[in-house]
Amino acid sequence: MKPLLCCANLTMRFGGLTALDSLDLDVLEGEILGLVGPNGSGKTTFFNVVTGIYRPDSGNVTFDGEDITGLAAQEIYYRGIARTFQRSRLCLDLSVFDNIMIGNHKALHLGFWHNIFKRREFKAEYELFREQATQLLCALNPELADRILKPVGDLSMIDRRRVEICRALISRPRLLFLDEPSAGMTPDETRQLMDEIVALDTDGQAFSLVLIEHEMEVIRRITSRCVVLNFGRKLCEGAYETVTADSQVQEAYLGRELEE
Amino acid sequence: MMRQMLAFLSGSAGCIVFALAIIVWLHVFLMAEEHVPIFICLVTVVGLGVAANMLKVTDAVRTSLAEHERLWNLCALAVPLALIWLFREDHYNLFLIGAIMVYAVAVLGLNVQLGYAGVINFSCASFFGIGAYTSTMLMTGAGLPPLAALLLGGVMAALVGCILIFPVLRTSGHYAALVTMAFALLFKVFMDVNDFFGGPQGITVPPMTLFGIDFSHNMLFGDTELSFYLRYDLLCLLLLGLAFCFVRRLERSWIGLSMDAVRSDDTASACFGINISRWKITAFVVGNCLSGLAGALYAMMQAYISPANFTFSDSLLFLSILLLGGIGNMWGVILATVFVVLIPEKFQVIQEFRYLIYSGLVLLMIIFSPKGLLPRQPRSYS
Ligand SMILES: Nc1ncnc2c1ncn2[C@@H]1O[C@H](COP(=O)(O)OP(=O)(O)OP(=O)(O)O)[C@@H](O)[C@H]1O
Ligand SMILES: [Mg+2]
Repeated sequence: MKPLLCCANLTMRFGGLTALDSLDLDVLEGEILGLVGPNGSGKTTFFNVVTGIYRPDSGNVTFDGEDITGLAAQEIYYRGIARTFQRSRLCLDLSVFDNIMIGNHKALHLGFWHNIFKRREFKAEYELFREQATQLLCALNPELADRILKPVGDLSMIDRRRVEICRALISRPRLLFLDEPSAGMTPDETRQLMDEIVALDTDGQAFSLVLIEHEMEVIRRITSRCVVLNFGRKLCEGAYETVTADSQVQEAYLGRELEE
Repeated sequence: MMRQMLAFLSGSAGCIVFALAIIVWLHVFLMAEEHVPIFICLVTVVGLGVAANMLKVTDAVRTSLAEHERLWNLCALAVPLALIWLFREDHYNLFLIGAIMVYAVAVLGLNVQLGYAGVINFSCASFFGIGAYTSTMLMTGAGLPPLAALLLGGVMAALVGCILIFPVLRTSGHYAALVTMAFALLFKVFMDVNDFFGGPQGITVPPMTLFGIDFSHNMLFGDTELSFYLRYDLLCLLLLGLAFCFVRRLERSWIGLSMDAVRSDDTASACFGINISRWKITAFVVGNCLSGLAGALYAMMQAYISPANFTFSDSLLFLSILLLGGIGNMWGVILATVFVVLIPEKFQVIQEFRYLIYSGLVLLMIIFSPKGLLPRQPRSYS
């Protein structure tokens, strides 16, 4: 399999702190990659650098054979990378549908004339997207489809995560970044959500997925490969068994978990 | 009993009852001249509002509004028409009704800026003034027909807004607010020192003429002499109606959605391809254009303008209308405009204290109902 995303020698500094330190990381076409590491090891920073929120101090990001280093976040989205955020960034007073449509920006017709004066065509477009959003929601939680016009602020934590995932998926990304989708949920809810995510992947829609997750059990169950970060550096990569057997990893990450 | 009444009100009947109540109340309030009846009117409306909220009548009205939108639109048109007809010979009250409608147009513009795209604007009254002065100068200086001058007033406000938006975009938060405040002060001073624009004494504005009809003359209808403000009021109503439809369609479109996204979270918006500057600029320009159009019509109706009409305090007044009414809710904007325009007119004694009273009201609103009198509802795309 050829890599979809290639990061070479990525370095990101915040003042004196090196959040990513000469990181080389590849994401293969169609794989589910787990990204693990202790708190503050640079996982979220990696997402932020690739998606154009931060510009790396050095290094290269290549997506689908094209250099995308330092492009604006908007541009990266148009290339086909979508994400969720560690601390949910939904618009709480907008409806579920509105939030999902924000992710559909590349498909929306934004012309003034179309939006204000061609209301009939606009409504046809609306009906089409409404149908698409409903289908996506049904794949995760059919009950959510009935609440599609309710504000997101009224939803439970797990439903908000689902909406966030739908917002990322509606644009049919080639690469999806999920930043701790299970944060703030009970183990049962986590299991449920992960099952839904895995089911999504087998849906025939080929995309690669990078999952940041602290629960090693989740990583074992759904990822095909994982990368361990520590202090912004890649400690180790490989299948779950290889990685957990690594003594450095046990020291840096699992050891800490066992102590807790 | 109560449940039956709520069911009744949440149907189409709710709309008609509501519209009739507003006509009656506004008629009584506008007719009242002594302080005691005026005060009783105000206490009644506040009492009714609180009671309606407690008895869940407001929810019923909201259901009715969502389900019978077309009927509500018609009733919203009928209320000003009925009032205009009731006061057909009364210059003063017709002027007030016109002023309410014109102010509402300007606040709808502010609503697009602050309510949707989240662009702060402390110089709404200056753009209102730009519209007023531009149309006046085009009529007196260049001899343009009033309708063309009115439209160009809106265009000019939009163009000046195009320039001001750049320093606003380059700064953020409090600094962006300061830029617009500085502009408001600058505009007032500029108009004061420039004799070309009439200086501090102001300038007389030629009346509107449309299809050969001069709006500054009374007209005869049978035996009664109708006030010349009646025509102005109809024109104001037309402008408000068009502005309302326009802003509503804007809200219920991908443009409104993109603006909302930019306001709520610019990082997330950027990650989904939304061009933040594009929507902030659009909102600012559209909003200022509406304020400019409103200002131009206001100038013609008042027949005289001076820099004192377009001060920083007036900008604050527009902002307080938006905050009181409910940011993002167009019905709320119109309702709040009615109160903010009428109360100081009715209580002449409080004229001097009106900013004190408004700031008090805004504070109370922020504490007890931060989303305003009528909070914004989730978007529907119908
Ligand atoms: N915008 C920023 N400014 C300064 N420092 C930052 C910024 N973003 C991240 N950091 C720092 O970079 C380091 C890596 O942070 P990052 O959020 O990537 O960690 P993480 O692996 O996602 O941790 P967690 O598991 O807690 O989410 C941390 O020390 C953090 O304090
Ligand atoms: Mg993180």
